[in-house]
Amino acid sequence: MSTEISIEHVSMEFRTPEEVKHVLDDVSYSVTPGHFVSIVGPSGVGKTTLLRILTGLTQPTSGHVAVDGVPVKGSPAGLAVVLQDYTRSLMPWLTVEKNISLPLLNEKLSKAEIKERIGASLEEVGLSGVERSYPWQLSGGMQQRVSIARALAVRPRLLIMDEPFASVDAQTRFDLEDLVLKVKDDFGITTLMVTHDIDEAVYLSDEIVVLYGKPAKVRDVVPVDVGASRSQIETRNSQRFADLRTHVYAMVRGLE
Amino acid sequence: MRITKRLLAVLIGAWLPIALVAWWWSTSADSTNPYFPPLATIWERFIELWFSDQFLINVVPSLRNLAIGYALGCLIGIVGGALVGSSPKATAYLEPFIDFQRSIPAVATVPVFIVLFGLDFEMRIAAITFAATMPILISTIQGVRDTNLVQLETAQVFHLTRSQILWRVRLPAAMPLVFSGLQLGLQIAFVVTIASEYLGAGFGIGAFTLIAADSFLILDAWTGVILMGLLGYVINIVFDATERISLRWYIGQQKLS
Repeated sequence: MSTEISIEHVSMEFRTPEEVKHVLDDVSYSVTPGHFVSIVGPSGVGKTTLLRILTGLTQPTSGHVAVDGVPVKGSPAGLAVVLQDYTRSLMPWLTVEKNISLPLLNEKLSKAEIKERIGASLEEVGLSGVERSYPWQLSGGMQQRVSIARALAVRPRLLIMDEPFASVDAQTRFDLEDLVLKVKDDFGITTLMVTHDIDEAVYLSDEIVVLYGKPAKVRDVVPVDVGASRSQIETRNSQRFADLRTHVYAMVRGLE
Repeated sequence: MRITKRLLAVLIGAWLPIALVAWWWSTSADSTNPYFPPLATIWERFIELWFSDQFLINVVPSLRNLAIGYALGCLIGIVGGALVGSSPKATAYLEPFIDFQRSIPAVATVPVFIVLFGLDFEMRIAAITFAATMPILISTIQGVRDTNLVQLETAQVFHLTRSQILWRVRLPAAMPLVFSGLQLGLQIAFVVTIASEYLGAGFGIGAFTLIAADSFLILDAWTGVILMGLLGYVINIVFDATERISLRWYIGQQKLS
């Protein structure tokens, strides 16, 4: 089910007529199959650029990215994404069930199998009975759940999330974080997430990659050793959690 | 509640037409001017003419021409617009021509189609189709060209093919804009339907009205004018209803934001 991702000597430059913007400089990192990895760093450091390279939407200026040893050209097979902007990422003219089955168009599945996948995905994210609703009729948190259900419906081997919880309220955010942990336990999908929220990164991840500098380099890779099972109250109150969070925070702010 | 609200809205919108008809009715009541007969007399003749087989002879052919021409225009405009709009190169090559074309009134192109197709059915269909196509083509090109990047990249990442992205993402996303072109196209197509009958047609609502006026059958000509107005109005109502159903997702979304 899970997938190895290797990022090797990736550099990225954006050329405009006025200047050359050097965003990523010789970034190398390997994601262990089945791991949940967060990428953190100061705003504008190039986190999203790195994700776009991994999804095949952008080609790096040099270096390369491989998924299970296969160099990424276009979107890798078995990839699913969850984006921050769920109002645009979900198609407003399609009902929830049609949105979820959109990525299944090219998989040779029967109608019954598709229906089964829709039902199972919605159940996994705790949203049943909204199949015929339009996304915009649901709350932000529910829309992001639909977006996660859509990602799960393709039975992905690799899940990429770009600030998935940045546009929902704090309470919903905790719920969605725990949902993502449940998905991780249930399926063990290799997951890469970009986030601004360091607490969230520590809470969810097996490993945190800190990008820092202009151009950005991998400042550090921090293994998160707070135990395999996480809880919003105990994990977040543990000393180890506080230490890790302080450590990562200091690096993101350039204090360490 | 919703029904009474709707009714109130209709009444508020209807006061001016009702007032104008009442004014026309009363001021023309004693008219002896042969060019401006009393509205009551026109109405009598209207019932007599258009609730008879004249409807089949003159109205049905016009509506049939409009339906065929408009349907072809929709097909060419939407399919062509989607293909052109999804390709920056095709847009660059065709846009100057389309911009030039849109500045020519559709009615003015009728003589060109007479030269090409003669004075028959084919000419009328071609002229109506062409008139309907242009605004639909233009709005579809615009709508498909300006697809939201997040929608586009989401579809790409989920491995939809280029043609799936075009027909299942870019075109549906463009529908609100496409519909504004569909409405304009329908209005212009209706005008051209009538105008195309002014030359060489023996029947059809436009031909009937023109022949009646030329033959000093003033009363008949007036009923023709009124009928055209009513037809245009009914066509618009049907269009609005279709739009409301097709764009339910868009209207609902707009209401919430």
